[in-house]
Amino acid sequence: MNIKGAARATWTWLDDRLGVQAVMDFLKHKPIPRNRHTLWMYTGSLILVFFGIQVLTGIMLAFYYRPTLEEANKSIGEIMTKVPLGWIIRSVHSWSATFMIAIVFIHLLSIWVLKSYRKPREMTWMSGVLLLVFTLALGFTGYLLPWDALSLAATKVGTDIPRSIPFIGAWGTKFLRGGEDISGDTLSRFFSFHVSVLPLCLLAVLAFHVYLIQKLGMSLPVDADEEAEARRAIPFWPNFVYREAIVWLVFVGVLVTFAVFLPPTLGKAADLMAPAPAGIKPEWYFLFLFQMLKIFPAKILFITGDTVAVLLILLAAALIFFLPLIDNRPAGRKGKIITACAFLLVVYAVAMSVWSLQTPSTPEVDKIIAAPQNIKESTAIYVFLGGIWLSVAVLTYLLRLKIKETDRLLEVGYFSSDKR
Amino acid sequence: MRLKHSLFTRRQFLNGLLGGWLGGLAGLFLYPVLKFIFPPEREPEQVLLPLADYGSLEVGAIKNFAWGRKPGMLKKTAKGELLAFVGVCTHLDCNVAYLPEQKKFFCACHEGWYDEDGVNIGGPPPKPLRRLVVTTEGENLVIKPGGAA
Repeated sequence: MNIKGAARATWTWLDDRLGVQAVMDFLKHKPIPRNRHTLWMYTGSLILVFFGIQVLTGIMLAFYYRPTLEEANKSIGEIMTKVPLGWIIRSVHSWSATFMIAIVFIHLLSIWVLKSYRKPREMTWMSGVLLLVFTLALGFTGYLLPWDALSLAATKVGTDIPRSIPFIGAWGTKFLRGGEDISGDTLSRFFSFHVSVLPLCLLAVLAFHVYLIQKLGMSLPVDADEEAEARRAIPFWPNFVYREAIVWLVFVGVLVTFAVFLPPTLGKAADLMAPAPAGIKPEWYFLFLFQMLKIFPAKILFITGDTVAVLLILLAAALIFFLPLIDNRPAGRKGKIITACAFLLVVYAVAMSVWSLQTPSTPEVDKIIAAPQNIKESTAIYVFLGGIWLSVAVLTYLLRLKIKETDRLLEVGYFSSDKR
Repeated sequence: MRLKHSLFTRRQFLNGLLGGWLGGLAGLFLYPVLKFIFPPEREPEQVLLPLADYGSLEVGAIKNFAWGRKPGMLKKTAKGELLAFVGVCTHLDCNVAYLPEQKKFFCACHEGWYDEDGVNIGGPPPKPLRRLVVTTEGENLVIKPGGAA
């Protein structure tokens, strides 16, 4: 038997047991609408790409990271200065988090504005909001792990927020901190959340989310002509995947470039007794909440300002979660007020974030700045970057050829005539 | 579409190029990942031991020191010479013990024996214990990796 025959026999053996062909057949017939809103459909898989990068780089960082009071900051410092290319791996992890969260926001807003959450996709939206919560929680827990003054202050504020919730809040703070105050136990706890609890929760909900997307199919815009859309649609596999692959490649290239040229720094180890550094700020995606907590007065009527602010935030989160039940009109109806709400929220968040940036923050002294360790390493990195961008260019060209080819095959009905 | 006399079709050629280049890109990413996962093992370039603590060693006695992450053993021979060993069995990396009454190094893992000069004399060890070079510089003994093991 030749190699080709052996490969085919192996494939048949596996397929008989796994049913891969059934999945592929399903994906070959899953239509992706092609209209002016198709652009937004690339965001979903792009989030998955960044999540995958987070998992891989996260596992790698955990090889060297030590989640204890004495060692946490030191071990990150060692990753940045001693472990070969460690500073890039940390930088990719940090930048990939930022990219992932940014695209999660875009993904959410696009679905909000296009009203794709309407019947029958209510639960897809709700599971998506849960995924947003887990993603933000991953960002929040990950921020403490380097254990420098900034991360300590951010975590102090963040874990104190639940306390403002009446009745159950104090318990929440205690649960998050592993005691009344932040200590080494908080660090272990956050590490456990960050590398185990949250990823598992996220994966479980993600499976549900993706299942629903497959079951219900892609949504059409509110004013779509269904017949024309069906004629224009392309199958997910292979036509759409080749298109997505170009987006993935370009974003991976951008990510690595950012990571090399703008690596995150590391401050001195946090001192639990030291005063908070001046002008502290959380990560960019929490800035608007941070500013909101800052501007609320100490007392509103007879309730403390914090409590009002936190309850407002929770109310907003609940409204977003239940959006499909609030706007439960049929899929064909426009929803100008709902769209306006989305834009208002964006304007509000951007304005608050810009406002919070008006407070100057004092640059920290003595921080570790990541950089190539020697001329050999920096040369290798430039060669590596060149290789990546060359590959992105060549692969984009090749993928465009594949897109042309598969689109032509689709036109002549090659895919529709294949065996089911 | 296949050109006359061509061995493969245009589609096969394109698929091969695409798949091959994707594989190449994956390889490009694999390199830094492997670099990161396997850090170079850094052996100390030298270890300084204060003469005040280590110089007054009795003949036949052993004093331990840290050779990086491995145990180092300093020993004074009958001639008054100082020998330094890496106290790790050459069989399967266990730490060895010095038995002063028998004047032998003993590895308990698989019962390996070395004589007082670190030469393997019994059991599974294939090679003598690794020797380090000892010199004196001012207030310190300087231990450096030896040229030959």
